[in-house]
Amino acid sequence: MLKTYAYLLEGLTIRRVLGVTALCAVCSALLVWIFLNTYRDLLVSALSVGYTSMVLFTIAGNIRQSRVPREAMQMLAIVVGSFLGTIVAGIVKGRDIRTMFTEKLSGVTITMSLGIGVGCVVVAAYILREKHARDQARLARAEAERHQLEKNILESRLQLMQAQVEPHFLFNTLANVQHLVETDSAEAARVLDSLIHYLRAALPQMRESTTNLGRELDMARAFLEINRVRMGSRLDFSIDVPEPLKVRAFPPMMLITLVENAVKHGVDPCCECGSITIRASENAGTLRVSVEDTGEGIKPKKGGGVGLSNIRERLRALYGGAAKLVIEEKAPHGVVASIEVPTAVAPAAA
Amino acid sequence: MSDERVSAVIADRGRVSAVIADDEPLLRAQLRTRLARVWPELAVVHEMENGRDILEVLDAHDADLFFLDIHMPGVNGLEAAKAIGSRAHVVFVTAFDQYAVEAFERGAIDYVLKPFNEERLALTVSRLKERLGSRPPELAQLVESLASRLAPRAPEHLRWIKASVGSNVRLIPVEEVLFFQSDEKYTRVVTAEAESLIRKPIRELLDELDPARFWQIHRATIVNVDYIAAVKRGLKDQAEITLREHSETLVVSRAFTHLFKQM
Repeated sequence: MLKTYAYLLEGLTIRRVLGVTALCAVCSALLVWIFLNTYRDLLVSALSVGYTSMVLFTIAGNIRQSRVPREAMQMLAIVVGSFLGTIVAGIVKGRDIRTMFTEKLSGVTITMSLGIGVGCVVVAAYILREKHARDQARLARAEAERHQLEKNILESRLQLMQAQVEPHFLFNTLANVQHLVETDSAEAARVLDSLIHYLRAALPQMRESTTNLGRELDMARAFLEINRVRMGSRLDFSIDVPEPLKVRAFPPMMLITLVENAVKHGVDPCCECGSITIRASENAGTLRVSVEDTGEGIKPKKGGGVGLSNIRERLRALYGGAAKLVIEEKAPHGVVASIEVPTAVAPAAA
Repeated sequence: MSDERVSAVIADRGRVSAVIADDEPLLRAQLRTRLARVWPELAVVHEMENGRDILEVLDAHDADLFFLDIHMPGVNGLEAAKAIGSRAHVVFVTAFDQYAVEAFERGAIDYVLKPFNEERLALTVSRLKERLGSRPPELAQLVESLASRLAPRAPEHLRWIKASVGSNVRLIPVEEVLFFQSDEKYTRVVTAEAESLIRKPIRELLDELDPARFWQIHRATIVNVDYIAAVKRGLKDQAEITLREHSETLVVSRAFTHLFKQM
């Protein structure tokens, strides 16, 4: 029972008690020049009022309620504390409580008023200091959040800069080209062309900083061409994008990530053939680019979201909340991943 | 010496036969033409796109040799090698992968790196000829350790939430979920941008989510700790959580406040 309410006295530190004691001693020393009472008599009154107010003030600060502001509760505690403290002082001094409200009323009123006066000044100072500390903490937190955000943006930019080309992909493709060259196939030149095209876009040193949907589509097409040759009849793809949309600004390396996911996690794990379709449309100031596959779909416990969270973070950095990435399941099987960006706003430089 | 052994095998079974497994048709063709040049006597009796029918192929062809690509859909090369056991000799064919090469070298497993040249293939062939007369080594254990090295088994936690939005099924990566909260028959899935309902109850989610990131804070609530902005003392013995990127506050019931006790 006691333990349950112990929290009410939280903050009642030795420091606080010493502070109140010192304040009472100083006040009594100052008042002894004005009043006729002895210093001891004044000190007893001051301490009674001081301690009672202090305890009530602490409790008022800790009570869990949300109807009345904490500061108001604390002020009220000072008033009530001064009143009760004055009575306590009377008891301590062995006075008759009844006379306190009749013939000694003026003295009692003075004690109470002084208690309330000094108490309010102290509490006001305390509340101001606390508010200042809170503001300071809020500022520090905002600063920390800003730093975190900047760090995130920087990190996603760095990730973007890192080579996107997997050695496994590169060497397998080269092995294919090797065979096509050896067999004098006309396709050798085409695959090499696609590979060059893809590398030009995918290697960070070669990457252009600004891009449009058309260029991103070219890179995706090169990547899909290579995979169509490698996977034989297992992969089929089509690109359905209206010509006018190809000049629209579109952030770099996002479409290719979706296409790579569609190949790697969608079609490739399937033994049967699958197809990938890239579509783009514009509606009410929003450009929507989607990559659809008929692959095996996403298993709830399968990973592979690194590229996706990178896209989300970059979209947030570029467009705030105005752009989004949505992943949806497709019937009977497969996944549609789509990116929506506003066309009215040019992306922030990134 | 080695040719004698091969002759012995040929005398015994009529010929040396091989199976090629690779999901890329051009690479199967390349390996076949090159093998024909460096080892004309070898008969490639079958080609496979993946390791799925490995047992049927083993029974049907009784091949001496298997060239297995490691990365194949369905049943990959390592799984196929495990199924083959010591019934045939295995050569792994793989694209550049540093870890794989290290593991092969240590385990003395025959391998060819794509893209390869004929000299490298000839070396593998001469080694194979040496071994052909002897019983194929039991690869199961080696393959097991290789498999764990190449594809470290990730802890089996839920990574995606499938939620219906209209007639579509949306896939939400769990790291974007701020919190799950049961709402009578359904469970609310709340992200910074949207909110959806799923049928999976909190209790089941709790079993499947990564406990390092998702904490239960109430009988009805699981929160993503990455998004907690602050924890405040609330009414009675409860606490309240405010979130980043969302205005809703969550109640931590008494049974779970210990999670947020100061250290």
